[in-house]
Amino acid sequence: MTATPPAAGQPAVQPQPSAVAADTGVGAAALLVGSRIALWLEVQLLLTGLLLLGGQAATGGEAFNDAAGWWMVYGALVDLGTLGIIFWLLRRDGGTYRGLLGPPTTAWQIALGALGVLAASVPAVVFSSELTSALYGDDAIPPMFAVVDLPPLASLFSVLVVPLLAELAEPVAYLGVVLPRLEQRLGRPWLAATIVVVVWAGEHAFYPLLTSGGGLDLEFAAYRVGSVLPYLTIWTALYYALGRRLLPIMAARWVFNGGTAAALALGLVE
Amino acid sequence: MHNRTLYQLTWLAAAMSLGHHLDHLIRHNAVGWPLTDQVNAFTISLIVYPVIATGLLLYHAGRVGPGFWALVSGGGAVFVSAVHFGPAAVEPPELILDHYQPPILGWLAFGWLAAFVAVLAITSVYETRVWWQQRQARRAARPAAGAGSRP
Repeated sequence: MTATPPAAGQPAVQPQPSAVAADTGVGAAALLVGSRIALWLEVQLLLTGLLLLGGQAATGGEAFNDAAGWWMVYGALVDLGTLGIIFWLLRRDGGTYRGLLGPPTTAWQIALGALGVLAASVPAVVFSSELTSALYGDDAIPPMFAVVDLPPLASLFSVLVVPLLAELAEPVAYLGVVLPRLEQRLGRPWLAATIVVVVWAGEHAFYPLLTSGGGLDLEFAAYRVGSVLPYLTIWTALYYALGRRLLPIMAARWVFNGGTAAALALGLVE
Repeated sequence: MHNRTLYQLTWLAAAMSLGHHLDHLIRHNAVGWPLTDQVNAFTISLIVYPVIATGLLLYHAGRVGPGFWALVSGGGAVFVSAVHFGPAAVEPPELILDHYQPPILGWLAFGWLAAFVAVLAITSVYETRVWWQQRQARRAARPAAGAGSRP
């Protein structure tokens, strides 16, 4: 097969599944997603057990909700686990971590691209804040942030370390590893992208889990999914629009998530 | 050679714009001339259709490229965002959400608007990338052509 130059008017970088996806199936993708969900559950349950053992909470439900307050901190463990699986897959199947991030991208391209990503995220910000207002009242802080009441050191960790780890793990897992494998298996990029967005949004129902009235707070879980769905749809579409370059999306998400965490830690949002 | 994706995104954005104007007609708030005597943001926004039609003709004739479309899409995203989402929005989300019964219809119309702005912004990013790549390709081709023409 010979390489042909791109036709005029067509992007020079044609979408190509990353090399690592070539000889492996969706099993690895399922492993990655499944392990993330399992880790969210396990870590919150582990923390719940520790709080109960330490006498920090009177009931299991109280301990479970108290543990949820630490999700922005224990998220680091989930992302470290994800990175571990990504590197294990890379060693098993070949390829490099940089290869998962798409074509070469210069610093100014990352900066400009990130600005574009942030600008394109505005409709998602507006939609999510309207959803929050409709469910929890005007000017309400999204509940997953409202449950956070951490010591200063933990807040610092959640601002400086967690957003960085999240960017190195989460979008790379879904867009760099899972999406190319699904595209290859299904042969329809739009279907693969839709599945990725739905599953990615669904994962958010698990962090954090809250209890209400003796059971899981399903309204909160549904809210979590609904509020992130517009963001994930836009970022996945931008992944294609940017010629499968992940770095601008990671940079924009880091600014966005890190900025939100910093605003909360500094008490700028009350 | 024309970019098929660019055509598809342009038609998608035009369809979403039409749907949003239809939403204005159903709500019958924040409308202007030709439905009322007032000339307002609604009236100004109708200019998008002749712009798209002219742009498609010029693009087909090879007179404009992706850079033109990036400006149209980006300009549209900024305009619609300023009108509906900005701090000084003249048509804030409540104007849509609170004017439908049952409320789910208001959420559908509002979701449509958010998706419309997102499509415009994403399209603009895509067109900017294509414009940049074409520019780079032309630059790369120029010295080669120059070298080839020397005796």
